[in-house]
Parts: sequence; C-alpha cells; structure tokens
Amino acid sequence: MTLQETSRSPEPQRKADITIKLSEFEIPPMQDILLVGKRAPIGPEAVRRMVDAVSPEQYEIVRLNHEVFEAVVVKKSLLRLLPKEKLLPVVIDEGNRIADDKMVVKAQINITIQINRTVDL
Amino acid sequence: MPTVEGLISQKLYTIDPLASVGRAASIMERYGIGSLPVVEEGKLVGIITSRDIKRSHPNRLVADAMTRKVITVPPTACLTEAQKLMAKYKIERLVVTRESDIIGIVTFAQIMSELGKYTDSLTGLNKAEIFYEKALELLKEGQEIAVIFLDLDNFGFINKEYGHIYGDNVLRQTALILNSLIDSNKDTLCRYAGDEFAAVTTRPLAEAEKLARQMVLALTNKNWPGKIKVAISAGVAGGRCSELRSSGEDSSYIVKYLVNTASLASTRAKKVKKPVVAVEAIEFKETVGM
Repeated sequence: MTLQETSRSPEPQRKADITIKLSEFEIPPMQDILLVGKRAPIGPEAVRRMVDAVSPEQYEIVRLNHEVFEAVVVKKSLLRLLPKEKLLPVVIDEGNRIADDKMVVKAQINITIQINRTVDL
Repeated sequence: MPTVEGLISQKLYTIDPLASVGRAASIMERYGIGSLPVVEEGKLVGIITSRDIKRSHPNRLVADAMTRKVITVPPTACLTEAQKLMAKYKIERLVVTRESDIIGIVTFAQIMSELGKYTDSLTGLNKAEIFYEKALELLKEGQEIAVIFLDLDNFGFINKEYGHIYGDNVLRQTALILNSLIDSNKDTLCRYAGDEFAAVTTRPLAEAEKLARQMVLALTNKNWPGKIKVAISAGVAGGRCSELRSSGEDSSYIVKYLVNTASLASTRAKKVKKPVVAVEAIEFKETVGM
C-alpha cells in the first residue's frame, strides 16, 4: 500500500455495543448482616443513615472494639431468634478469616432452631 | 491569669457530619487549619482532625471519621488549665465554647507559646504576672491568701565574687529547691524579680510561715558548689482580708499590700538575722484606711 492509497482510505467507523443486565434492586441493598471494616469507604454512621432511610427500624448497629471491624449492622429479626451475644462472635470470627479492615462484608444468615419437647400423655 | 479567649482566631470553620472526609480535608488544606469542629443543627457533635483524616477513607462521612468525645473549655479558662486538659487527654486542640455556642479552637502550640511569655526563661518559674493573677483569682473565689516573699542574701556579692554564670546557677538551683517544696494545689511560686521569689498560698498564715522556714532551711542546708554559703530571708504576710473584700474594694490592692508587707518583712528578717518574719494582716481594713 502506497502513501497515496492510505490517505484516500475512509475514516474508521466508531461503534458502541451496549450490554444491559436488568435485575431487581434489593431493598435494603444488604442482607442479614454487614461487617464494616475500620478503614472501609463507608462507616457505621453512613450505613445507619442508609438503612434508616430504606428500611427504618429493621436493623441495629453494634459498634465494636475489634482490630478489623468497626461495627456490625444486623437485622433485628435475627436477634429475636438468637441473642447477639451468641450470634455476633460467630459471624465476626468467620468474617475475620476472609476480610481486611478496608472491606465491607455482607453475610447471609440462616438460623434453624431445633426443638424437642415432651409432653405427658 | 491569661485566658484562652485571647488566643481564639476570629474566623471559625466548622463542618457538617454528613460531609465527606475528602471535603473536610480540602477545607483544612485551603485554610491551613488542623481541625474542624463538627456541628449538626447548631450543636457540637465532634471534632475532625488531620490525624482522623489520615486514617480514614476520603469517601467516609465526617461522622464516621470524627472524634466524638470533644474536650471543651470556656473562654475564661486560664492557659495553665487548658494546658493541663490537653496533657490529661493527650490532645493538641481544645474547642472553646460559651454555654452551647462554639467560639473557636485553641492549639497546644498557641498555649505553649503564650505561656512562654509568662515563664521566666532562666528558672522556668512563673513570672510575677502569673503570681498576681493567681492571687486575684483566689481572692475572687473568696479564699484567704498569704504571701511568702523570699530574697537571697548577698546575691550581689555572689555575682561579683564568682561571676554571673555562677550567680545564674544559684538562681536556677534556688528555683528548683523552692519548687520542690510547694504544693501546686495550694501554692503558686514565681521569680518575682532578680534574686527575689514569691509564693501566694491558700495555707493559713501559720502554715505559710512553716513553709517559708522549710524553704529557708532547704537552701541553707544545700551543698553549693565551691562550698559557698547561700542564704535566703523570707517575709510572710497574710490574714483575714474578708472584710475588705466584701466592702467592694479593689482586690488588687489587697495583693499589692500583702506583697509589700511580705517584702518589708523579708528585709526585716535580714536585719534582725532571723530566717523568717511573719506579719498577720488582721484588721486589714483599718490598716488600708490609714
């Protein structure tokens, strides 16, 4: 190809491909528990204001004295099944294995309560 | 006593708790300040400092990065009170508030710089201004005070015989000894001038006299370099000043009178070769009226 031919070639066409993925926005955009790292981009006050705005009175914020996490945001309904003194240490312990202080980790919790009762016949 | 009010800068910058840390950082950088009081609906809810900003993500809310426990002082707080608060809480800034209104911020550097003006550079003791302010403050609080005035004997001779460097060392050592004997909850010591020291105390006159004797004895018993003899004479003045105070007279007159009486007593102590002469200023009102 000579220089003359190159200068005559048409302008390159510019196109854009658009890919759309639609899905339902979760309200609230979090699940059962949120572990907020100490140096995460959002802190517990921001989370509190967010959940208060989108799901008022459904979440409780527990501030922690922990080396990685600053706070835990937990769905109040979970705490009716299990007291937070029992639930949170387990979740924090597991979160601590995978997260660092810059992260916000969400956790989905399934609690099954097993009960055996005996009554007199 | 100088107060923090004089150190407050005119322009006060504050920030909303819902602003970002990044915004707080840019305000602090633009105005060259190290902290911002965090105010929500006119109420002080925290303070964000450059240290808080360094350890926080810039996207965070100020509310999530600020220090929630804010140590405040009223504008009438004296500099030493502010300094003690900063030392106690290991902080470098205090928010100055009048009732619920935020007036400004004072920094450790400002306080130390200002206090330096009232500290004697040779001995590290307070200057006489602090002594007078403290005495007035005690009188305003309704406390009885006594003044101990101490004057080194033949200090001019020491300077001439051993040189001014030696003389300065004697002054420094004297200040150390006197300072080791006082109780900062009761006594305020100063280098009054030259070779003179003074202390204002809330101790009763008899106890003030006892302290003065301890001071004189401690200096006499010290082993001074070159085995020279250093002695000091003390005059003590105090007593019931409540009558005069309640009559609405200027309290500074009482202080000046006590200092004058104590200094004359120290001169008399030298003359009669007694370590301490104490003067009781009972019936003070009548004495003033003479």
